[in-house]
Amino acid sequence: MAKYILKRLFQIILTLWIYLTIVFLLLYLQPGDITSFFINNRTPPEVREQIKAQFGLNKPIWEQYTNVMTNFVTLNLGVSFKEYPRPVWDIVTERMPRTALLFVTAAIISFCFGFILGRLIGWRRGAALEYVSTVSGVFLWTVFTPWFALLMIWLFAFNFQWFPLKGFIDQNLWPGVQQVADVSCDLTGGTNCANFVFNHILLTALVVTLILGAAFIISRFFAEQRTRWLINGSALAITVIGVFNYWSNSIGDVKVGGIFATRPLSMMDLAGDILYHMILPIITLTLISFAGTMLLTRNTMLESLREDYIMAARAKGLPDKAVRDRHAARNALLPVATYFVIGLALSVDGSIFIEKIFTWKGMGWTLLSSATDQDYPVIIGALVFTGIFALFAHLAADVLYALLDPRIRYD
Amino acid sequence: MQVTTKTLPPSLWRVRMHLWLKGMGQSWSTFRESPIGVTGLVIIVFFGLLGAFYPIYPWFMGKIAWDQETIQKEGIDLNIVYNPIFGVGNDPLLIKGFPQPPSLRHPLGTNADGPDVLAQIMYSASREFLLGMMAALITVIIGTFIGAVAAYYGGWIDTLFMRLADVFVLFPPIAFLVVVSALVQRAGIEMTHMLLALILGLLFGFGSITIVLKSQALTIKVKPYIEAARVAGGSSFHIIFAHIIPNILPLSFLYMMFNVTTAIFSEAALSFFGLLPSINMSWGLMLFRAHTQGWILGHQGAFYWWVWMPPGLAVTLLCSAFYLVGRGLDEIVNPRLRKR
Amino acid sequence: MALLEVKDLSMHYWTRKGEVKAVDEVGFSLEKGESLGLVGESGCGKTSMALTLLKLLPENAKILKGHIFFYKEFQPQTANALLGEMVNLVPQKANGRASTLGRLTRIEGEKLLVQPARNGATKAPSPVSFSFSEIAQVGLDLVPLREERMQRVRWKGISMIFQAAMNSWNPVYRVGDQILEAMQTHLPKTSVQQSKKRIAELFQMVGLDPRMMERYPHEYSGGMKQRAVIAMALSCDPELIIADEPTTALDVIVQDKILREMRQIQKQLHMSMIYISHDIAVIAEVSEKIGVMYGGKLVELADTQTIFERPAHPYTKALMSSFPNLKGEKKKLEALPGEPPDLISPPTGCRFHPRCPYATEVCKEKDPVLEVRQPGQVAACWNPLH
Repeated sequence: MAKYILKRLFQIILTLWIYLTIVFLLLYLQPGDITSFFINNRTPPEVREQIKAQFGLNKPIWEQYTNVMTNFVTLNLGVSFKEYPRPVWDIVTERMPRTALLFVTAAIISFCFGFILGRLIGWRRGAALEYVSTVSGVFLWTVFTPWFALLMIWLFAFNFQWFPLKGFIDQNLWPGVQQVADVSCDLTGGTNCANFVFNHILLTALVVTLILGAAFIISRFFAEQRTRWLINGSALAITVIGVFNYWSNSIGDVKVGGIFATRPLSMMDLAGDILYHMILPIITLTLISFAGTMLLTRNTMLESLREDYIMAARAKGLPDKAVRDRHAARNALLPVATYFVIGLALSVDGSIFIEKIFTWKGMGWTLLSSATDQDYPVIIGALVFTGIFALFAHLAADVLYALLDPRIRYD
Repeated sequence: MQVTTKTLPPSLWRVRMHLWLKGMGQSWSTFRESPIGVTGLVIIVFFGLLGAFYPIYPWFMGKIAWDQETIQKEGIDLNIVYNPIFGVGNDPLLIKGFPQPPSLRHPLGTNADGPDVLAQIMYSASREFLLGMMAALITVIIGTFIGAVAAYYGGWIDTLFMRLADVFVLFPPIAFLVVVSALVQRAGIEMTHMLLALILGLLFGFGSITIVLKSQALTIKVKPYIEAARVAGGSSFHIIFAHIIPNILPLSFLYMMFNVTTAIFSEAALSFFGLLPSINMSWGLMLFRAHTQGWILGHQGAFYWWVWMPPGLAVTLLCSAFYLVGRGLDEIVNPRLRKR
Repeated sequence: MALLEVKDLSMHYWTRKGEVKAVDEVGFSLEKGESLGLVGESGCGKTSMALTLLKLLPENAKILKGHIFFYKEFQPQTANALLGEMVNLVPQKANGRASTLGRLTRIEGEKLLVQPARNGATKAPSPVSFSFSEIAQVGLDLVPLREERMQRVRWKGISMIFQAAMNSWNPVYRVGDQILEAMQTHLPKTSVQQSKKRIAELFQMVGLDPRMMERYPHEYSGGMKQRAVIAMALSCDPELIIADEPTTALDVIVQDKILREMRQIQKQLHMSMIYISHDIAVIAEVSEKIGVMYGGKLVELADTQTIFERPAHPYTKALMSSFPNLKGEKKKLEALPGEPPDLISPPTGCRFHPRCPYATEVCKEKDPVLEVRQPGQVAACWNPLH
């Protein structure tokens, strides 16, 4: 396995190199020299010189190439035009976790939903349910995403006012926050405090996932169904209590003051506000992406139902549910799981429209905004980073496949 | 074997044609059984007719919604009134302000700038078709050719194209398109439908489609008739074009349907975010204007529905239609999905 | 004592091209501890027959008529489980009453009430009463049995060794766990430890290292998979095992060894078996009785000895002469001319007549029925050889 991962890692580095070269060529073939992407008329002269030295202007193409590549690999991606003088790398690291949380959550929900539904329509072939869910699934899958997102906002946020219209935090709540734990907030609506709270949400989600995942894997070593439930149940209880305790006591206090202060706030209130802003984008994302999993699961389910081991499982007198879930769906899961991880890899890509419409300032929003604002250093940085992210997700897909399918032993 | 070639009856092509027609007939009857594929086909035909109807739309409206006297008296040019880009003309109705709700003269109303919404939808329909088909055709031609060649020759050609496909599969396509259109704009090049189709075609042509078609071509390559053709002295060129490619074409056609969906969607999305300033009319652009001018979220209720509902539905329906046809074809091409 | 009785069983498939008459009016019975071989060309309905017995049919298949009685000795305490099902009650021999087929409607004290089937009569026949002491055996009819109830018969009552043993293992689970799954479904009271011990015993019995339980199917060779399949078929102590081409995919030496072991286990555990194969030589080695199928019909059924010495049906003879005989005198192998019948539109009359060297006019017109040729031999032929 280790050997295989190393081999894949080598392939990935090679692929990344080709990818970055294509990005370089894309820039090089443009009119003007390559530094013009990193300099505009607002750039001060001394910085101008520095950037020119960094990217090696007026040097032969291969030297420019090595310079640009070195800068890409060391993530030295220049300085944003629009948010001058913020380094691109800083912007990317701020935005990436936001995209990750939103999209991983939505992806997991839509995966579960799509898989369960696909399993059902694959099993009960030819029922009215199949036709209805295929047509509505295809409709949602190919719906014009920005338009659909606007409809969702219009319906749920504008008409019913169940959810906030857009954004990441409530603009009436956060300006009153002066200090969160030991971070004192900046004056413009508490962006750094919001980031602090957000990063802790992300951390919590990660820890919870790890604990529950570990409990699930440990429970697999026991054959008795009751032991499995006991392990999983107690792990769930422990995490719920732990998370509650951590957020109510351990992180720190919120200091509210100044003219914007409306009411005393706890850490949970702030986290709740961020989570509240996530609900509508997640619902929208789930609706537009579950059908992909559903349609694929249906097909893989139909294929695995034709296998001889399904007949064997039925002959064993297993109940239908066991045949469907333990045998057919378990094998149908293999390609679907890969699809899921590759979907995650391209989540930045899929995030572009949704983030823009919901003004969720993640990577997708950043990429599209910088494209319309012609903020080239950020565009290129985002593209480079997206590529790197996608590559590692592909590696994860391979590892996951190996874990799910005992036939594959990478050596 | 050469002798056989010479003694082949001249009607060989007729036999092939007959077999091909027979195969098509069988495929069609299988296709017709899936309500999903037929639903898609009906929608495609609907939009096709809509696009075809566009040139006679002003004339037709003149017949049913205008009386000739008014036209004569006021000197109205219907071609201007129903122009999808400039619109208005001197239609007396429209002086009352925009957007006009649906009426007999404007079945889907007008947008905020004056042009007739239905005219815009019809005008764009044919362009969306053209773009989708062009892009998908380029993708499929590249994919089929590379797939067949890589499978037939193997070796370094295979390795080269498959590694390349791996890179393209990793490409975040929308991000890439956004960046490319920003760059094209910066370079001062006009991004026409054709150029966009070319970019889309190339972007998707080297990716996953080559991998799929190559593995299909590999299963054909090991069939006995390929061996027979080689023994009979068929050249590589002949084997690839006369035996391998015709056999992977059904699968290519299937992927073409999915690629049409992607291409139409991409164009609409880029237009919607204002990244294709050179394309002066498309469904995405209609939505872009409706959104930025505040007709979707700015007003209570669905009051101005005719401004944003038709283009949104049009993009969605046409994309869905090609996808549905693809799914329907899947049941033919992939017998494992077929009902017994 | 009978274990399984198949009566007048027909099962057809509905396909695009038409109705496939895969099993047509087949009947036979099987005693406890006995083994029966079903033989015929591919496509003659043998496998369909096996799948029908377990009711493992695809959606487009339907059992049109007939009965499959699965007999058990009558035990008063288990009578409740049969309530509401179609049963065939067989009285004690000394009793002199006829066996009765009907729905078991009520249990009153020491009596069973059976409502016989209407069978076309306008008036429903009156219920028949049997006292517990009168009944020898109860045959549960599997044909009208509900799916959930049928699941309890599968593997516990009738298990199966599949034609494609290679692929009948789910690749993602350990072999031991897949056997365990069946045992936990049917023997819920047995603990996991006990079941695992039992699986280890079975592995030894079929000649596998018990440690292989913890391995995945892809780590097994073909022969090992086949042995493991046999172990799985034995795991719930079934009364009947259907072996569908159990050794076709293996090489001859392994084939022979496995067959011999199966025969031994069968005798040891006193189980009944149905062997299905296209190879009459294989069947002859392991079965006491042989049934020959042609075009979805059973054309001859006889003791192994009889069928080899005096085959009655021309098809049986043709089948035997198309395989070499190691022990007998040298002779030329004869291939049967013609194609197996198309089961969508089978030939009129006797389905074998287009290929039969002895066919006469009557063969083209009338379908022969099974008739007794001599004790222990029945055949359906207008011009039998003996």
